[in-house]
Amino acid sequence: MADRIFAGVLLAVTMAYAAIAFTAISAPFQYDPLGPESWPRILAVVALACIAGILWKPDTEALGIARQVWFRLAATVLALIAYAELYEPLGFVVATFLYGTVMALMLGAPRLRAAGFGLAAGIIGYLVCASLLGLNLPLGELVEAAFTETETATEEEG
Amino acid sequence: MDAVLSGLATGFAVALDPFNLMLVLLGCFFGTLIGALPGIGPINGVAILLPIAYGLGFPPESALILLAGIYYGAEYGGRISSILLNVPGDAGAVMTTLDGNPMARNGEAGRALSLSAVASFAGGTFAVVLMSLFAPLLATFAVTFSPADYVALMVFAFASLASLVGKNPTKTLLGAVIGLMLATIGIDANTGVARYTFGIPDILAGIDFLIVVVGLFGMAELLTLVEQQVSGKLRTLPVDSSFVRMTDLARTKWTILRCSVIGFFIGILPGTGASVASAVAYGTEKRISDTEGTFGKGDMRGLAAPEAANNAAAGGAMVPMLTLGIPGSGTTAILLGALLMFNIQPGPMMFAQRPEIAWGLIASMYLGNVALLVINLPLVGLFARMLTIPQHYLTPLIAILAFIGIYTIVGNPFDLLLITGLGLFGWFLRKLDFSLAPVILGFVLGGLFENNLRRALSISGGDWGILVADWKSLTLYGLAVLVVVLPIWLARRNRPRPEGAPVGAGN
Repeated sequence: MADRIFAGVLLAVTMAYAAIAFTAISAPFQYDPLGPESWPRILAVVALACIAGILWKPDTEALGIARQVWFRLAATVLALIAYAELYEPLGFVVATFLYGTVMALMLGAPRLRAAGFGLAAGIIGYLVCASLLGLNLPLGELVEAAFTETETATEEEG
Repeated sequence: MDAVLSGLATGFAVALDPFNLMLVLLGCFFGTLIGALPGIGPINGVAILLPIAYGLGFPPESALILLAGIYYGAEYGGRISSILLNVPGDAGAVMTTLDGNPMARNGEAGRALSLSAVASFAGGTFAVVLMSLFAPLLATFAVTFSPADYVALMVFAFASLASLVGKNPTKTLLGAVIGLMLATIGIDANTGVARYTFGIPDILAGIDFLIVVVGLFGMAELLTLVEQQVSGKLRTLPVDSSFVRMTDLARTKWTILRCSVIGFFIGILPGTGASVASAVAYGTEKRISDTEGTFGKGDMRGLAAPEAANNAAAGGAMVPMLTLGIPGSGTTAILLGALLMFNIQPGPMMFAQRPEIAWGLIASMYLGNVALLVINLPLVGLFARMLTIPQHYLTPLIAILAFIGIYTIVGNPFDLLLITGLGLFGWFLRKLDFSLAPVILGFVLGGLFENNLRRALSISGGDWGILVADWKSLTLYGLAVLVVVLPIWLARRNRPRPEGAPVGAGN
């Protein structure tokens, strides 16, 4: 059953993929006999054949996941989305602190330790990656705003 | 022979550079560290560390040496959780648990760990030696390959993938096609036509390889960990002071040699990595030496066999990757993608055009093997401590590392959402018994496959007959048919299937 649902979703996506390959993609002029549209067409046909095979003979009955686990997974994905959205506005340190703490709490860490973990991950992560390794991590708009204010202030003075 | 020796000289000159030497050691160390984390296999470890290694801005040969070290180290580290926890990091380590964990439970954890380190070292070194002999030969031959031959080679690669990896060939093939389809997103290089971009500027240049890798492996792994979450610590067996003895080595030497050979040649086959190699090696060894029925109860040979094969396959998988540009396993597909990011097209010309990279990589593997043995024998206790990191800290840590890696590529927060989405997709694929290695193989090979097909047809002016015009192509198609038909025929012939039947995902 689970197989069939997933294959059904894939089927819809592949149909759309095929439709675009067969109608929308075309080059104004081209030098090679295949052009940009043939390869996606071949792939779409092979994919449809495979999906038909799975729909005809599925082998995974159910995912076997309890409702509680679904909630935990959904919460994990939501936390990740929030982390991604807050990454630049809040900056690495704050966003990581929040995400690390929330995730650790959700997965059953004791309260204080979870906060400690989040704080350590944020600060040590920033120091090691941004300062030591020279990687590019967001400072955060708030912190940046504070910095530019002092900068413009000094510029105005000078 | 001369070419090999002068190549090795070039290679060691690169690899023995103090900075590169340090990178080999660091890569091996961190690779082992992340490979030892419970449940995280080498492929996930390499995937999570790859963007960070890329972001450091090293010259290509140094970055590759670092990555190869991480790859090797992760293969090594995987056995620690197999032996002490009975939790294999990936499909390739499943066979290690069969005899490794019983040995540890019999109070011989130290002996099992040190024996497996020696077996891995032997298998790995054996593979590197064979590789430095074979790879230049294969490369010289592969220079004569035409685009049509390359198409045949790809067909062979995907045929062996579908037939040898995973439980369901249809699903494996579909996985590969999904990878190929993902690779068509972006502007077509030949005509400049945008395909499947839907006007989103972030994906005009195609979905970044790193995003696919980190999403499908790293983030999917994270979701799997959350799903299977066990609260608190896993119970690990203590590392004791027992150590491998000379008599143990004498007893296992033929096992190690046999399995190194098996592992190396299975590793060379495109698409089949350490998982198939260790399964076949264990099965073979069981048939040959298990006269007293001690396999599965803590027999040393049962531990040495998959470990030697595992590491020999890791080396063997590098051969087609370096000489043909066709990766032999999922993890080498990731390394191939890394090469492409540095604008180096792996393949026969690499030995001629960029000898410092090809040979530097090979030389660093010699050093890496020695380094791993030296790091592993005394420090195994430290790596074993990694197993006791509670899952509720480990899981968020994966996401934090993945986000750092992806954000540092171009600093685009849209990519972070993309890896989350791909992670969800990868998790579903895993739950439904698709293996992920074919997806990444398809993604990496997509451009090459399409370009060679188009080039071949341009040469022939649109005549499809060119694809079967050459004996090289025909031989490869023959091999492709053989690799699909042979396992089915063998399975029919000796039912019930032997225990060494291929299982799981390549890595």
